[in-house]
Amino acid sequence: MLRLPPHEYHRPRSLDEAVELLHRFGDDAMVIAGGTDLIPNMKHRLFEPAHLVGLKGIGELRGIRREGGALAIGAAETLASVARHPEVRGRFAALAAAAGHVAGPQLRNAGTIGGNLCLDTRCTYYNQTEFWRRALGYCLKKDGTVCHVTKVGKKCVAAHSADTPPALIAFGARVEMRSPSGTRSVPVEDFFVPDGIRNNQRGPGETITRILIPLSFVSGADGAPGGADVDAAAGGDADGAVNRIRGSPNGDEELHLRSGYSKLRQRASIDFPLLTVAVAAWVDPGGRMQRLRGVVTALGARPRELTGWDEIAEGEALDDDVIDALAERARKQCRPLDNIIVDPEWRRAMVPVYVKRALIQLRDEPPS
Amino acid sequence: MSETGGGGESRPGGTDEQRVPDGRNSQSDLNLIGSRLRKVDGFAKASGKARYADDIALPGMLHARIVRSPHPHARIVSIDSSRAEALDGVRGVVTGRDMPHTYGVIPWTPDEHPLCVDRVRYIGDGVAAVAAVDEDTAIEAAGLIEVEYEELPAYLDPRKALEATGGEDSPYIHEPRKAGWNGNITKKVHLDFGEVHALMEASDVVVEGAYFFEGTTHAPIEPHCAIGLWEPDGREAGGLSSGGGLTFPLEPGMGGQPGKHEGGVPSSHGRLTVWSSTQVPHYLHRELARVLELDPARVRVIQPPVGGAFGGKSEPFDLEFCVAALAMKTGRPVKILYTREEVFYAHRGRHPFHMRYRTGATKDGKLQSVDAQVLLDGGAYASFGLVTTYYSGQLLTAPYTMPAYRFDSVRAYTNKPACGPKRGHGSVQPRFAFEVQLDKLAEKLEMDPVGLRRSNAMGGNTRTVNELRVTSNGFVECLEAVERASGWKERWRRLPFGRGLGVAGSCYISGTNYPVYPNDMPQSAVQIQIDRSGRVAVFSGASEIGQGTDSMVAYVAAEELGVPLDYVRVFAGDTDFTPVDLGAYSSRVTFMLGNACIDAARTLKRKVQDAVAGEWGCKPREVLLAGGWALFAPDTARKLPIREAFQLAEAMFGTLGATGWYNTPKDIHGSYRGGTIGSSPAYSFTAHVAEVDVDVETGFVEVKRIWIAHDCGRALNPVLVEGQMEGSAYMGFAEALMEEQIFKSAEQGREGLHNAPSLLDYRIPTSLDTPELESLIVESLDPEGPYGAKEAGEGPLHPSIPAIANAIHDAVGIRMDALPFSPPRVWRRINEARAEGKLKKPTAPGRPIEEEVHESVS
Amino acid sequence: MGATNRIVDLNVNGDRRIAGVPTHYTLLETLRYVLGLTGSKQGCDKGDCGACTVLVDGVATLSCIMPVWEAEGAEVVTVEGLARESGPHPVQDEFDLNGAAQCGFCTPGILCSAVGLLERNPAPSREEIKEALSGNLCRCTGYTKIYNAVEAAAERIRTGSADGAGRR
Repeated sequence: MLRLPPHEYHRPRSLDEAVELLHRFGDDAMVIAGGTDLIPNMKHRLFEPAHLVGLKGIGELRGIRREGGALAIGAAETLASVARHPEVRGRFAALAAAAGHVAGPQLRNAGTIGGNLCLDTRCTYYNQTEFWRRALGYCLKKDGTVCHVTKVGKKCVAAHSADTPPALIAFGARVEMRSPSGTRSVPVEDFFVPDGIRNNQRGPGETITRILIPLSFVSGADGAPGGADVDAAAGGDADGAVNRIRGSPNGDEELHLRSGYSKLRQRASIDFPLLTVAVAAWVDPGGRMQRLRGVVTALGARPRELTGWDEIAEGEALDDDVIDALAERARKQCRPLDNIIVDPEWRRAMVPVYVKRALIQLRDEPPS
Repeated sequence: MSETGGGGESRPGGTDEQRVPDGRNSQSDLNLIGSRLRKVDGFAKASGKARYADDIALPGMLHARIVRSPHPHARIVSIDSSRAEALDGVRGVVTGRDMPHTYGVIPWTPDEHPLCVDRVRYIGDGVAAVAAVDEDTAIEAAGLIEVEYEELPAYLDPRKALEATGGEDSPYIHEPRKAGWNGNITKKVHLDFGEVHALMEASDVVVEGAYFFEGTTHAPIEPHCAIGLWEPDGREAGGLSSGGGLTFPLEPGMGGQPGKHEGGVPSSHGRLTVWSSTQVPHYLHRELARVLELDPARVRVIQPPVGGAFGGKSEPFDLEFCVAALAMKTGRPVKILYTREEVFYAHRGRHPFHMRYRTGATKDGKLQSVDAQVLLDGGAYASFGLVTTYYSGQLLTAPYTMPAYRFDSVRAYTNKPACGPKRGHGSVQPRFAFEVQLDKLAEKLEMDPVGLRRSNAMGGNTRTVNELRVTSNGFVECLEAVERASGWKERWRRLPFGRGLGVAGSCYISGTNYPVYPNDMPQSAVQIQIDRSGRVAVFSGASEIGQGTDSMVAYVAAEELGVPLDYVRVFAGDTDFTPVDLGAYSSRVTFMLGNACIDAARTLKRKVQDAVAGEWGCKPREVLLAGGWALFAPDTARKLPIREAFQLAEAMFGTLGATGWYNTPKDIHGSYRGGTIGSSPAYSFTAHVAEVDVDVETGFVEVKRIWIAHDCGRALNPVLVEGQMEGSAYMGFAEALMEEQIFKSAEQGREGLHNAPSLLDYRIPTSLDTPELESLIVESLDPEGPYGAKEAGEGPLHPSIPAIANAIHDAVGIRMDALPFSPPRVWRRINEARAEGKLKKPTAPGRPIEEEVHESVS
Repeated sequence: MGATNRIVDLNVNGDRRIAGVPTHYTLLETLRYVLGLTGSKQGCDKGDCGACTVLVDGVATLSCIMPVWEAEGAEVVTVEGLARESGPHPVQDEFDLNGAAQCGFCTPGILCSAVGLLERNPAPSREEIKEALSGNLCRCTGYTKIYNAVEAAAERIRTGSADGAGRR
């Protein structure tokens, strides 16, 4: 059978202890939470850390609770518990759906939301055994010098393949990290960098502690629409986020946060995505959208936010023409590569189809 | 030896509960047979107690790892294992030169070495093996064995392989077996029956098509595993110490021809035992003795419960020879457990087939002439390929009458893992093509495809165009069962665009009339021993691989001897204790082992009847044995517990034991060269209807349900028959929609590198992908089968794939002639059809052409 | 780099098990090759097939990708621990009755997933059963008989029926 490389396993009881261990071992250590990505990768000899620092036993990294204007999800919460959580399901349906569609049930029971953000990029030439990669002559991402996907490029194009980041980005979430030098948080979209070899900006010894998703229209805004004055609705409603905006052009209105999620994969379980789409918008009772965001992934090294949607959708209702226009805009922006062993032309053609399906969910029914 | 008892002690209830009540027990003359029964090993498997090969650990056991070729085709220049041998914990290394004899399951094509001697032929070919104190050390040591290669041009495409000349730039993968032959051809078969040309010319309608069946692999959930144990006898005890006095009994270059063991007793007097997850202990036994030059009487093969096989464990593999050789070399038990990746390299799965068919028929749909050309992509070694090449043509001639038939089949070697037998060996691919041809024919003739099949059904007690004897035949009943259950008449061609139904039929053998190596001995045998306690011990040579053979013999023994099922113990899978059975392949076991068991049991039954009749002063035939009693037939109130009946018999006849065996009838094959291949004592028949939903935006095909009707002769235990039917239909469905054993090209980074040797990327369906499967058992009661039974393990796979292809056509009007029907491929066909204006529901025959239902884009 | 051993302290099937284990061992390797609990199977090496599924604090978990140290302090239940004092777990017995185990190699993992499901959802729909078992690959049955067995077991647990024999 495939065996793990020799290593020491450490189970810190507190975040401070974990940070200290990571600092002490430096490059010789890696963080493990669910291990669902790291352990197979170690068995493939993609990583051979001398020390694993386990986060599972650290209470500070657990819990899903409201904090300030955000829902704070502990980084070590499992994908299964995120998918099941009533407030996530009610308010951030696309996130619940994304978490609930990662891999298969046992992997969701172990895999964590923080781990999903840190999922290593994937490629047909990379996620293979040491024997296989040696027969290949290795690749740019690990132990080699050639990218077998682009043939010429000096840039790794392994695909970001995590399901939850598109939803988190669409909801305007931030990721909080901790290192010996302190705590910082960045928007999830900025967490990722366009490099297939290492596609996030987590520093050495740094670990994710929480995900923060804004609960209201204003708390998620870099700048709220002019003059709007917002009350976050009283907490605990499970039927979606509601904001009452006074002074908007249409008088007092309620804005509902709605979202959609679609995933392309060949099997209905276990498989990584060939394409994942998340969309979210604040919708008024007339169905008009504000701040529609759409994010796709499994195409390149990081999730891609679809651009140019504002000019199509801002203030518009999501009718079929708008959906088609948004889907077409998405298609133009997405070009899958041969980094996954499935027909890239078909994957490209699926972009507008799956964007459309996510938008229809946003309009008609929450994803489940 | 594994033993499975009829009743686990911890099972609730007792003997009464073994019969699963559902009202099926209406046969008057059969007591257990035909009932819904538990399996004898069911609870062991549901409690984690069944011990598979990797669950066995022997004292002092070493672990070994095989070094594999990273090149698709290369000469071995040198192998240096000195660094590995110097590693702490390493106990021994073997290379190809330690085992120079070739082997092969088919005696005419022995073209494999246990480890490569001077040439590697695919990425993953084994070149050396190293044993160490633990698996981690063995892995590390394997990495230290340095092999120098000289690369050779490789062939991935069988058409390219056939063009090879054998020259320096175009080497053959194997030396030609005869001068002037093409070394890249395993086998060519051309057979011609009836007036193919004339009847084709005279046909009112001819359908012609090219088809491609992508290779697939078995992917049993249990990876192959073997353990070798060498026990030198007292005079050679020095062999036990590592590096001690054991003379490794192999000398390079000793040659040896298949089937011709050199006379006399080999030099070594030790005993070799190999535990293996094999489905052919007997063939493994033969080849171990031959290749390792051991006296077969000193070789023992033990087959523990096997975690799935499907044909993928039906010949010897490198690991079995390596554990044996390393055990002999080190004097310690040695285990090898394949990684999942190695299972993909061992392969022996379904051959990729390139096929062309011409099918001619009269205007009322009667088949006239069938002309086939098949190119088989064999991979690096022959395996069962000689048989596969015949099967690619021979098994197509039923269940439909065809007055003329010709096939031309060629199997080429390529530099990929060897293909071999996978469930429905050699005949699944042509069946796909042919049943799609029939659908096209029906469409051209504006006929209902069920009706077309019914009108061509050959019926029972007949001979096929290639002279195969067909006795019982329930094919028409199968067709009608699926027609009825699926609502075919109301729904075919009438479902909304995107939704469709498809039908297909097939037949399959119940064992091969001739064994893999020519001999006149029985194909299957059991030995039964009963005693005064009432206990019945059945020693069965057959291989339980999950299909239920151990249970089957227990049902037969209990039926015949009248004991409760849990009085029966089945001992199986150990060549030291059980008589020879040839193995779990070609759907032979129920038919052959079942008959053998009846034979042995009836010998004992007669003795018990005689003894009881003597006691009662009646005729022996008036003594019934049933349900734990000996009963007086004219008045069943008069009865004796079966234990006492056995005691009477033991007193009268002495210790009670009997052997029973089965051999095939030898006069039922074709009277031409090759006419023995494909002949079987009985044929099973199957029909499927599949219902699909095609998403025209994405190309996803969702199979909603498959109705499976299968003529198994008699269902000895309907639960197990349904299990085989459902498992077969699932496996065919999986091949239809998602599975492909494919390899990278040079442009994709590395020629001949397996595309994805893992269960993540070689996609086998999950529960969420698999349709609901509905089994409809048809019982034709075969005159020669045990209680009328025939096979159920492979036949029901065949129609899955064409039924789905035909359903896709019914749904959206496209033809899928290449496998698998993966979303990208279906999507491309949909786009082509849309561009041609042909993406629409096909028109129903015999109806006014309704307004065409065009694709609606919602 | 050679392996080092450490002492692991586990609770498996209600037994406290203390053993020296190489530090890089998974829970599955420890169960199978150190503790002799060979019921849990290894099929794919790396979390793709579900044959190694065990219950960790009642949750279906892939033991082949779980470092053994993470199981310390948890209650681990393997297929060997599913039976009750009164006899087999109803799911085990229904697997036997329904022919839901053919080769039996995926069975221990599927049983653990099924028991995990029934403990949190005593009346699952057929769709919920399919979903809960969708991380366990079976190559023999086509799954149909497995669903039937889980449905029958759920029914039996709900109705408190001791065995299934008289029910059908």
